[in-house]
Amino acid sequence: MTDTLALARLEVKRLVLRVRGYLILTVALPVALYLAVGRLHGTANGVPNAGYYMVAMASLGAFTCALTSNAVRIAQERKDGWTRQLRLTALPAGSYVAAKVIASTVTVLPAIVIVLALGRLYGGVRLPGWEWPVIGAVVLLAAIGFSALAVAIGYRFMPDQAQPITMIIYFAMILLGGLLFPLSGFIATIGKVLPTYQVARIGSDVISSGTVPVSAIAVILGWLAAFTALAVLAVRSTAETR
Amino acid sequence: MRSEGLVSPVPAAPAAAFTDVSKVYGSVRAVDGLSVELRPGEAAALLGPNGAGKSTCLEMLLALRTPTNGSVRVLGGDPYRAVKSGRVGAMLQSGGLMPEVTVAELVTLVAGFHPRPLPVDQTLRQAGIADLANRRVDRLSGGQKQRVRFALAIAGECDLLVLDEPTAAMDVETRQAFWAGMKAEVARGRTLLFATHYLEEADQAADRILVLSKGRLLADGTPAQIKASAGARRISFRLEDANEPFLRSLPALTTLELRRDLVQIQSTDSDRTLYALLDAGCRPHQIEITGLDLEQAFLAITAADNSGNPADTTRISR
Repeated sequence: MTDTLALARLEVKRLVLRVRGYLILTVALPVALYLAVGRLHGTANGVPNAGYYMVAMASLGAFTCALTSNAVRIAQERKDGWTRQLRLTALPAGSYVAAKVIASTVTVLPAIVIVLALGRLYGGVRLPGWEWPVIGAVVLLAAIGFSALAVAIGYRFMPDQAQPITMIIYFAMILLGGLLFPLSGFIATIGKVLPTYQVARIGSDVISSGTVPVSAIAVILGWLAAFTALAVLAVRSTAETR
Repeated sequence: MRSEGLVSPVPAAPAAAFTDVSKVYGSVRAVDGLSVELRPGEAAALLGPNGAGKSTCLEMLLALRTPTNGSVRVLGGDPYRAVKSGRVGAMLQSGGLMPEVTVAELVTLVAGFHPRPLPVDQTLRQAGIADLANRRVDRLSGGQKQRVRFALAIAGECDLLVLDEPTAAMDVETRQAFWAGMKAEVARGRTLLFATHYLEEADQAADRILVLSKGRLLADGTPAQIKASAGARRISFRLEDANEPFLRSLPALTTLELRRDLVQIQSTDSDRTLYALLDAGCRPHQIEITGLDLEQAFLAITAADNSGNPADTTRISR
């Protein structure tokens, strides 16, 4: 466990301090979008824009970080042979994947915390104290699912395949989930099965009525379980020993 | 009661043991019935042309591949367990490195995984990369990365070092420094097995050479023995009206090259070959007899194998 945490710590350090564009993509982008729409009059999903887009943009930043920055990176590290190199050390099997998920969970926090803070300070969102950590935790839970999906893609595909596959899934999740703009009609019906939509829905429900919809939590947990299963299968099928 | 002197010393387990190992990829037999043992403290070089099965052998030793048949044991046990208990230091030809971290951060990380880590400063110095400690790994040259991989292999105390073409991307100077460091490791009692293309290195750094071709062990002995076994000497002379069938029939001859009147022969017993030539009434001139260097020996051994001779392993009694 110490080894896994040491690896996770170095992963976080290099992502945050050394990867150019990392903070821009995961924090600056959702912040900029929120600054653009957070004070617009109007409502979405029955809550004021300030509240809806606070949750949507926190999610956007967290999912971008968890999915897009990890999937291609893992595929590349496998191709380069870094995972093989680790296999030759005393690091226990599975630690690489565990460290990736832990590091990913840590690195999504800035986006979530900063956008929620902006919602309060810039968007003027007022909520009872307990609702803030609940919203943050729900976004984080969904983000962990996307970290697992990133592992599945990174282990299943070469980097040049992983890149477009990740982008297609990412944009489908973001757009159909209504994170950039709420959808209506038939497309919205499709979107309801997605974890992205359900995160936004939980946000709206918590803000408008102070309740957490159990069915939404169930959908998010279902996707988390499915993504985790995909990751486990992908890691097993590409075991380093042949 | 003390029983000193009565206890017979228990022989140490071989550092590595292949027993009748084969590895098949589809229709290709990469390794074909290999049996060989490495004794603790030995420095052994694995030689062979491309595709001889060298990398496959090393990967089976490191539990990166499982043999199709036969068994591979490392330090008396399962290879995977030996690797994961930190008893094996390994460096592959193309092991990737974590990007966007510094050399010191990376070596510190890997040393931290090791049950018996060595001080990072010492490892960096030994690998000749102390001056690169704060450089980013992804901004190093090929040779520098190679030395970082070596540093990772020696970041902890290990019993067996396995290196696949360790000096492939190094310049001459770096290579010499590398082997000086390697000799120090072996002197401290570690067992070393390395694959290389540079026969000169095998000659200098190894006290045992294993020649592999088409997945089979063709020769096994000290560098001197390998040279001797391969048609120990080269005889060259000029002879008017040289008759090829006659020359081919000379005793102890392994190879013959004929260019007009220039004859070059490799022979396992140059005296016998030459006397037979003289006894037949030939009077060659400009006679030169030279010992083979390892490269020529190696070429002779693998050429004999390629020509379809049923060359059994040249086992050299030790």
